[in-house]
Amino acid sequence: MTVHRSDRPLLEIQDLRTHFFTQDGTVKAVDGVSYEIGDGKTVGVVGESGCGKSITALSVMRLIEQPGRIVGGSVLLRGRDLLRVDDAEMRDIRGNQISMIFQEPMTSLNPVYTCGDQISEAVSLHEAVGRRQAWERAVEMLQLVGIPDPARRAKQYPHELSGGMRQRVMIAMALSTNPELLIADEPTTALDVTIQAQILELMKSLRERNRMAIMLITHDLGVIAEMADDVVVMYAGQVVEQSDADTVFAKPHHPYTTGLLASIPRLGEKRQRLEVIQGVVPNPLNLPKGCLFKRRCPHAMPVCDTPPPLQEIARGHLSRCWLTPAGEPPAVGPEATGELAEAAASALQAPA
Amino acid sequence: MEGTQLGQIPAKATTGAGQGAVDEVDLTPVRTYWQLARQRFMQHSLAVVGLIVMAILVTLALVVPTITGSLYAKTSLSLANHPPSLLNPFAPLGYDSIGMNVFIRLVKALQTSLFVGFSAVSIIVVVGITVGAIAGYVGGAVDNLLMRLVDVVLSLPSFFLIVMMVALFGTGNAIVVIVAIGIVGWTTAARLVRAEFLSLRETDFVQAARALGAGDRRIIVRHMLPAAMAPVVVAATLGIADSVVVEATLSFLSFGISPPEASLGNMLTNAQEFFYRQPILILYPGLTLILVVLAASFMGDGLRDALDPRQRVRK
Amino acid sequence: MSGQTWADGAAIEPIEASASLVRANGGAGRVLLRAEHVVKHFPIRGGLLGVTTIGAVRAVDDVSFEVRRGETLGLVGESGCGKTTLGKVILRLIPATSGQVYVDDRPLFDLNATQLKEARRDLQVVFQDPYASLNPRMTVGEIVGEGPLVHGLTDKAKREELVRELLAKVGLNQSHIHRYPHEFSGGQRQRIGIARALALNPEFIVCDEPVSALDVSIQSQVLNLLDDLQQELGLTYLFIAHNLAVVEHISDRVGVMYLGKLVELADVDPLYAAPKHPYTVALLSAVPEPDPRRRKKRLVLKGDVPSPAAPPEGCRFNTRCWLREQLGNPERCETEEPVFRDVGAGHLVACHFSEEVTPQAIASAAERQLPVIGA
Repeated sequence: MTVHRSDRPLLEIQDLRTHFFTQDGTVKAVDGVSYEIGDGKTVGVVGESGCGKSITALSVMRLIEQPGRIVGGSVLLRGRDLLRVDDAEMRDIRGNQISMIFQEPMTSLNPVYTCGDQISEAVSLHEAVGRRQAWERAVEMLQLVGIPDPARRAKQYPHELSGGMRQRVMIAMALSTNPELLIADEPTTALDVTIQAQILELMKSLRERNRMAIMLITHDLGVIAEMADDVVVMYAGQVVEQSDADTVFAKPHHPYTTGLLASIPRLGEKRQRLEVIQGVVPNPLNLPKGCLFKRRCPHAMPVCDTPPPLQEIARGHLSRCWLTPAGEPPAVGPEATGELAEAAASALQAPA
Repeated sequence: MEGTQLGQIPAKATTGAGQGAVDEVDLTPVRTYWQLARQRFMQHSLAVVGLIVMAILVTLALVVPTITGSLYAKTSLSLANHPPSLLNPFAPLGYDSIGMNVFIRLVKALQTSLFVGFSAVSIIVVVGITVGAIAGYVGGAVDNLLMRLVDVVLSLPSFFLIVMMVALFGTGNAIVVIVAIGIVGWTTAARLVRAEFLSLRETDFVQAARALGAGDRRIIVRHMLPAAMAPVVVAATLGIADSVVVEATLSFLSFGISPPEASLGNMLTNAQEFFYRQPILILYPGLTLILVVLAASFMGDGLRDALDPRQRVRK
Repeated sequence: MSGQTWADGAAIEPIEASASLVRANGGAGRVLLRAEHVVKHFPIRGGLLGVTTIGAVRAVDDVSFEVRRGETLGLVGESGCGKTTLGKVILRLIPATSGQVYVDDRPLFDLNATQLKEARRDLQVVFQDPYASLNPRMTVGEIVGEGPLVHGLTDKAKREELVRELLAKVGLNQSHIHRYPHEFSGGQRQRIGIARALALNPEFIVCDEPVSALDVSIQSQVLNLLDDLQQELGLTYLFIAHNLAVVEHISDRVGVMYLGKLVELADVDPLYAAPKHPYTVALLSAVPEPDPRRRKKRLVLKGDVPSPAAPPEGCRFNTRCWLREQLGNPERCETEEPVFRDVGAGHLVACHFSEEVTPQAIASAAERQLPVIGA
């Protein structure tokens, strides 16, 4: 299969906004999210439940259900805006160019069909092949994802397999059409740690073999560190920090990222007390004015009543915080120079 | 230790323990489970109509016969076949072929039907909950035995069984009718309660109560029954409609309540006999029966929506 | 226990600091709870009437251990290893098939109903799912006050005062006392669950995955709370979790379970620094570290955990063991069940060849691994 490659990144999400219009009010689940995924790159999207990381992925797949709606932005796959193609084209893209795997494989596999049936159906939907060929491809895929005795397993039903095996079947199904982008939404969260290790190793090997890009959505910073080239940190529907993995883990800038990294217990580092991020995630129906993190932020200052912009604080390192690149409070006054300081100064003068 | 003042956080308590957790006071009003349920019920307009109709019917059935006493059985041949007239507030529906006041008789019949309906459902609920709770809570062999009993009762043709019991133990007696409907009808409630209990038995909040030392009675009454009640309440409301219909059918076939006692069923039989002379007489008990059944069904639907915690409150 | 009963009208001092200090210092290191050969089999029923036993899920199979006063014993293992069942069995929330648990030398499984109720004051539990563990139809006050109520604190005002004190202790706003669980976030609900467990002033709390359902930033809040409460009240914890880093953080000693058996039990530092059982080695190696500079060559176990209804003969880990493979598949692993033995300084391990578990062996096993994808 020849794939058209160009200078543009594989996927560009630009100012995406997905809102949910509930009876209690509008929930801005995704509110102006932009990031891109290059060919063959793995982007880790991390954040707590409700931060909008999964809704972003579902928006890319155009799988948002009522009462949700994509209200703005664009999703460019090789320059083509997925939010503006018709439904038939989108169905073709889903599965062919983009595939998705979910946290709980049991709910995404049909219990009344065998694993082989389901994979060969996926194959024949996207390729003009006969039944027997499709079945052979299914068995091949099962072997590829490391399922022992694949010919026998293909004839089994999802409930006859363990959780790890089911996730392998899901991956086999997602990869059967050779997608350029795999969206993996918490792919290992429901699995035990030794099985998680198997699946992560499997995803790494397949990524290299197929030269496939991955959007890896998870709350587990360990999985992100293990897999991702780039990291996007989300909080309350916004991107708060974005950079390559080494930078985010070694030199985090946003206080939320810093707090998250400090609060997780790590193997071999027995500390007396864990650092804590104060408080709880804000109610999406009642977000604070200004910076969404300010109520929990140890550095909160007057300027935080104005929403901080997502700024480049170093090459390729974006952060949505008023702190200077060195992590100091912004100097405000005549002697202050630089774009950030000016923005901060004007923000402080203007009534919020 | 000196007693902590009410409303004052002990100094020691916040040393780290509550680090970052004492949050802003949430000022939204507290809504209990039942308040939320009522809110959901009120949004179900048919259910509200059903409730209002049922309330009117029950009020009528309680008030009118108390005032009119035994007039419902009084015949007066001089008034026979007197037509309905709104001008006569004492007999707006006229008199039947043997001179009985149709309105007074109709309300008395309604009283009988509702009495049979509510009483039979009470038996169904009490027996059903008891059997279901024991089976679900004790489990094992007891559960097995009780559920096989349910299977046996369910496998018998229920209406035939009721007719047989009424025929054996006293035709025309309301109590016999009630007991017969109750004996046959408790199985659904028992199954519902048992299913709820089986799943509740393993839930964490029941285990937690057990760990606190709560006894079986407290666990059943305080933790399991309230959670298991929702489907029973729904089934019971719908059961009222069923029981009223069964009673009417029995009386219509002359197994149930027989004249001079009034019931919607025997009024239908009576009206049928004189159908050619006064066809309208069949309408009154017929419509009343439909009203009772519809009101109970709508209420049941509304309760199902109201008591299902997965339903969210709409503004 | 302090020996007071609320029914006497004695002062309410369930969280009395001085008593706890005595408890923490005077009794430190002594055995509080001892589990001996605890077995829990869940029968698999079959046959026409569903009453014939055709097999058993061996959820917990002959497990013995001690919990010392004031310590935290961590219990790790993957789903289905029996750790949660074990936690419930030793609290007698579900009946054991055989074995005995001694609490202060009282045989818990032999107590009658009255004695058991009394014993429960000392033995409490905090559950994993903060949504399923609180009765949705009860207020926070009723939930937290239930324990004191069933143990005789019938005075409503006193009970409310106690509940307010407990809410403050776990970092909740006291004005929440009349609210219902559905109005709280996961972390707050878990605090309510902890307050309920503390209400009877217990000595021992089984924490069954208390943070695994919570968001990352909330986990650390709850872990710190558990830490603080332990120090302040001299509590003893059995901390059950699958997250190895969390268990390392909170525990003094750690037990590792596999298929219903304890396979290793030791002080936390030696267990994490130099594990002696091949399963523990693999478990630790599988944990992804939140640091991209420390990506490691991991030791990935093959296959799935076998069914606890039909565990392998001999050593239960033999079907997945990397060490056995490295040693040329000795027959002993399949025929003889390894003894849970002390390999020095109280480090217990159930492996015939634990002496062979060396850093070199682990490294070479990681190197020799086959590619994970087929064809």
